[in-house]
Amino acid sequence: MIALSLAWPCLAALPETAAAASAGIDAAGLVAGLKRATPARTPYTEVRFSGLLDRPLILRGELEYLGPGKLGKRVDTPYREQTTVADGVASVRRGDRAPRTFSLSQAPELEGFLRGFAALLGGDATALARDFDLAASGNEKSWQLVLKPRDRRLAMRVSTIEVDGSGGTPQCFRTRDRDGDVSVLLVDALAATALPTRPSQPLVGALCRGFKVP
Amino acid sequence: MARWLVLVAWLLVLVAVGAFAVRNLHVGTDLRSFMPPPQSADQKLLMDQIGEGPGSRLLLMSIDGAPEERLAELSRGLADALRADPHFEQVANGAFDLAALDDAWLPYRYLLAPTLDRHALDAAYLGEQLEQRVEDLASPAATLLKPLLPRDPTLETMALAERWSPPKPPQTRDGVWFSSGGAALLVAQTRGAGFDPAAQGAAIDALRGAFRALPDAGAAKLTLSGPGWFTVLINAKTRAEADRLGAISTLGFVALLLLAYRSVPSLLLAALPVASGALAGVAALALVFGGAHGITLAFGFTLLGVAQEYPIRLLSHRRAGEDALSSARALWPLLATAIVSAAIAYLAFLASGVPGLQQLAAFTIAGLLAAGFSTRYLLPRVLPARFSDAAGTPGLARAARFIDRLPRPRWLPWLLLVSALPLLWLAPGPTWQNDLAALTPVPQDLLLRDAKLRGELGAPDVRYLLVLAAHDADGVLALSESLEPKLAALVGQGALDAAELPSRYLPSIGTQRARQAKLPDAPTLEHALAEAARDLPFRAGLFAPFVADVETARTLPLLTPDAFARSPFGARLGSMLVQRDDGWLGLATLSGVHDAAALAALAESTHGAARLLDLKAASESLVVAYRERILRALGIALALLGVTVVVALRSARRAWHVLAPMSLATLLVLVVERACGIPLSLFHLVALTLAAGLGLHYALFFERPVADAAEGRRTLHATIVCVLSALLVFGLQALSSLPVLRAIGLTVALGVGFHFCLSILMARAGRGPDGGSA
Repeated sequence: MIALSLAWPCLAALPETAAAASAGIDAAGLVAGLKRATPARTPYTEVRFSGLLDRPLILRGELEYLGPGKLGKRVDTPYREQTTVADGVASVRRGDRAPRTFSLSQAPELEGFLRGFAALLGGDATALARDFDLAASGNEKSWQLVLKPRDRRLAMRVSTIEVDGSGGTPQCFRTRDRDGDVSVLLVDALAATALPTRPSQPLVGALCRGFKVP
Repeated sequence: MARWLVLVAWLLVLVAVGAFAVRNLHVGTDLRSFMPPPQSADQKLLMDQIGEGPGSRLLLMSIDGAPEERLAELSRGLADALRADPHFEQVANGAFDLAALDDAWLPYRYLLAPTLDRHALDAAYLGEQLEQRVEDLASPAATLLKPLLPRDPTLETMALAERWSPPKPPQTRDGVWFSSGGAALLVAQTRGAGFDPAAQGAAIDALRGAFRALPDAGAAKLTLSGPGWFTVLINAKTRAEADRLGAISTLGFVALLLLAYRSVPSLLLAALPVASGALAGVAALALVFGGAHGITLAFGFTLLGVAQEYPIRLLSHRRAGEDALSSARALWPLLATAIVSAAIAYLAFLASGVPGLQQLAAFTIAGLLAAGFSTRYLLPRVLPARFSDAAGTPGLARAARFIDRLPRPRWLPWLLLVSALPLLWLAPGPTWQNDLAALTPVPQDLLLRDAKLRGELGAPDVRYLLVLAAHDADGVLALSESLEPKLAALVGQGALDAAELPSRYLPSIGTQRARQAKLPDAPTLEHALAEAARDLPFRAGLFAPFVADVETARTLPLLTPDAFARSPFGARLGSMLVQRDDGWLGLATLSGVHDAAALAALAESTHGAARLLDLKAASESLVVAYRERILRALGIALALLGVTVVVALRSARRAWHVLAPMSLATLLVLVVERACGIPLSLFHLVALTLAAGLGLHYALFFERPVADAAEGRRTLHATIVCVLSALLVFGLQALSSLPVLRAIGLTVALGVGFHFCLSILMARAGRGPDGGSA
C-alpha cells in the first residue's frame, strides 16, 4: 500500500490532480510501495509514435522481468520477435533471420527504460533518485511519476519517462525521445485494452491515466 | 718551441676537421642500414614490410585508471587530437562511424557493398527490406537505424561497416573500444617508418603531449606498445648504456694510464692520436658516404679502442739517451705491420654489402691509419723531453722473470687444439643465431603485453601474408575478388581464422561497373518504392533522399585506388596495395593460420599470381645468406692477414710463431662461447675479427727479437697496459644488458685474454731468461 502523506486533504478524491507537486505525493514512498516479486511476467501492449511513420505501430506480447539488467520481451502480434537483454547486451531475433546484437551503450533509451523499470519493480527509491530526477503527482488511485534522466548521455536521447499507475502497480510507461518520438508501454491491467486502428497520442495518454475510452 | 708549434698546429687541424665533419655529416637512424641487402623478391618484400609495412607503423594504446565514462571521453579526445597531428596517418578507437561521412562519399556505398551482386532494387526486394525496417522501428534497435533510415532503407551503410570492421573486434562501450580488463583501446598508424627511431620518437612525443593536454587527464595512465615504441625504447636504452659504459671506461682508462706512466702531460698527449683517428674516421664518412648511421658511430668509437695501442707502444718504448722520434722510427716497421693487418681485417666488411658495415669499415680504416701515422710522425714531436723509463717500473722486472720462467711445453698448444675441437662438435644449442628477433633487447614482459594488446584489438598476425601480383592495381583487385570465395571456404574449414583481402575495401572497376549498371533510374525506383511501401505506415515522401542517392550513384565516377585512398576510409587500402617496378602487389593479411599447407596449395592453384609469404622464414633465409657472405669475407681477410705477416716478417718460421697463437686463441674463444651454449651471430664474428687484430699485435711484439732485457720489459709493459685497457673497455661491455654489446664485449674480452696468454707461451718460445733469442 502506498504510504499516503497525511498532509493530503480532500484533493485525494479527484483522479486527475497533477502538478500539485508542492502538496503532492511522496515519490520515495510511492516507489517503495511498488515492490514486486521477480520474475515478473506481464502481457503488454506497445504503441509507438514515430516521426517517420504516418500511423503508430501497435505491438502485443509478453514482457518478462528477470532481475536487474535482465529483460525478455516477446512480440506476438503483428509479427514474431524475441528480444533478450542481459549483461549490457541486447539481442533481437525475428523469425529465422540471424539475431541482431548490440550493446546497451548504443541504445540509451533501452538502457534508461531498463534502469527505471528495474528500480521501480525493485522498489528501490534511492537507485531511482540517483539516475533520475523524480516528480510525483496524483493520488493513490491514479498517480504519475515523471523521471528525468540525470545521465548526460541518456538525457541527450530521452527527455522524460512518465510512469502512470494505480494503487501499487505501474500500468503505463511513456518514454519521450528528444526527437519527438514517443513509445507507450501498457502493462498489467491496461494491456488488454482494445485500441482503435490509429490511436492518437492524447487518447493513449488518457488511457494511461485511467480514463475509460469509449 | 718547435714542440709547441707542432702541438698547436695539430690541434688546429683537429678542430678544422671536426668542424667540417659536424657540418657535413648527417646521422641516420634507420636500422635497416644494418640489415643484409635483400636478394629474393620475398626478402625485398620482407624488408619493405619490416620498415614501412602497416604492421610496423602501428602504435597500440590503452588508457586505464579512471571510471569508464572518463576513459571513453579521454579516448575520444586523444583520437581527435591525433587525427589533427601530422605525425599520424590513421587513428581508430571504435567502430567506424560511416554515418559521420560527408555527403559526397555516401552514395558510393552502392558500388562498394556487395548487396547489388545478389539483389536488385526492385519492388520485391524493397518490399521485404521496408517491412523489416518497420519492425526494426518498433524494436529496441530503432535507435541504431532511425538517423539513416530515410536515406538508406536497405541499410547499405551498416553492411559496409560490418564488412570493414575487424573480424574479432573488441567490445564497444559508449562508442569506443574497451579491453576485457576495462581499459580504453586505440590504434594509430604513424607516418614515419617503423624502423626509424627518430621519426617514431617524434611521433610518440607528440602522442604523449596530446594525452597530457587533454582536460582532466588526472590519474589516467597511457600505455604504449608496438614496433615503433620498442624501437624508441631500445634506442634510448642503448644510448644510456653506451654513455654509462663510455664514462666508466674512460675514467678507468685515464686511471690506468696515469698509473702506468705517472705523467699527466703524457696522458693528455696520448689522447691526441686517438682523437685524430676518430675525427679522421668521421671525416671519411662525411666525404665518402655523406652521412653515417648512429650505430656505426657508436661501434666505431668502440673499435677505435684498438688505436689507443699505438701511443701506448710509443710511450712504453722510450728509453734514456734516445729522443722520441728515434724510438718511433725503431718501432715503426712492426707498428706499420700491425696497422696494415688491422686495416685488412676491416676491408672484409667492405665486401659484406651491408651499408652499415661498409660505413664501419671506412670509419675504422681511416681512423686506424690516421692514429698510426700521427703516432709515428706527430706524437714524438710533441712529447715532453722528460719521461720515466717504463723498464724501471717497480715489479715489472719480477713479472718479466716470472713469465720467462713459465714452462712452455711444446705439446701444450697441440693438447689445447685436440681437446677444443671435440667440444666444438659436441656444443649444446644451435650453432648459429638465425632469429633476428633474438637480437632485440626488448624485455620479455613488454613483448607479452604487446601480444595481449594485439589479441584484444584483433590485429592480424605478423607472420603470414598472401601476396597477389598483377600488372596494375585493378588486376590485383580482380584477382583478390576471385580468391574471396576460396578463402572464405578455407576459413569455414578452419584452416585460418580470418583473411583480409584488398578487394574487401575496394572492388575492381569491373565489379563496380556491374553494380552501377544494376541501379534503376529515378522513375523506376520511385515506382518500385511506391509498390513496396503500399501497405506500410511510412510517411509519404520519406525516402526522397534515398532516391536522390541512387540517382547520384548511377553517374558517379568509378573509384580507382588513388581516389579511394583520398577518401576518409581509404588509408586502410593504401597499405594493402603497393606499386613495384614491374607491376602491382596486393597484400592480404591472415590471422590465426592453423594450416599453412592449405593456404600454400591455394596459392599454387593460381599459377604464380598469388604467393604465401612466411615472414619468419624469409627473415631467417636473409640472415643465413648474410652469414655466408660474412664468413666468406672473413675467410679472405684472415688469409690476407696471414700473407701480410709472412711478407712483413720475411720468414715462414717467424710468421708461424705469430699466426699460430692467434689462430689457436680465436678457436678457443669460439669453443668457450659454444660450450656455454651461446649461438653465434654476426656480431660475434665482427668481434672475433677485432680480437684477432689485437692478438696479432701482441704476438708480433712478443715475437720480435729484442736487443736487451730492458727492451723486453718495455714490450711487456706496453702489452700489459694494452691488455688491461682492452679488458676494461670490453669487459664492461660484456656486462651490458643489450645482447649486441654483450656479444661483442664477451668475445673481445675472452679473445684478448687468450691471445695474451698464448702469445706469451708460444710467440716467445725458446727465449732464455736474459731475453736473448734461442
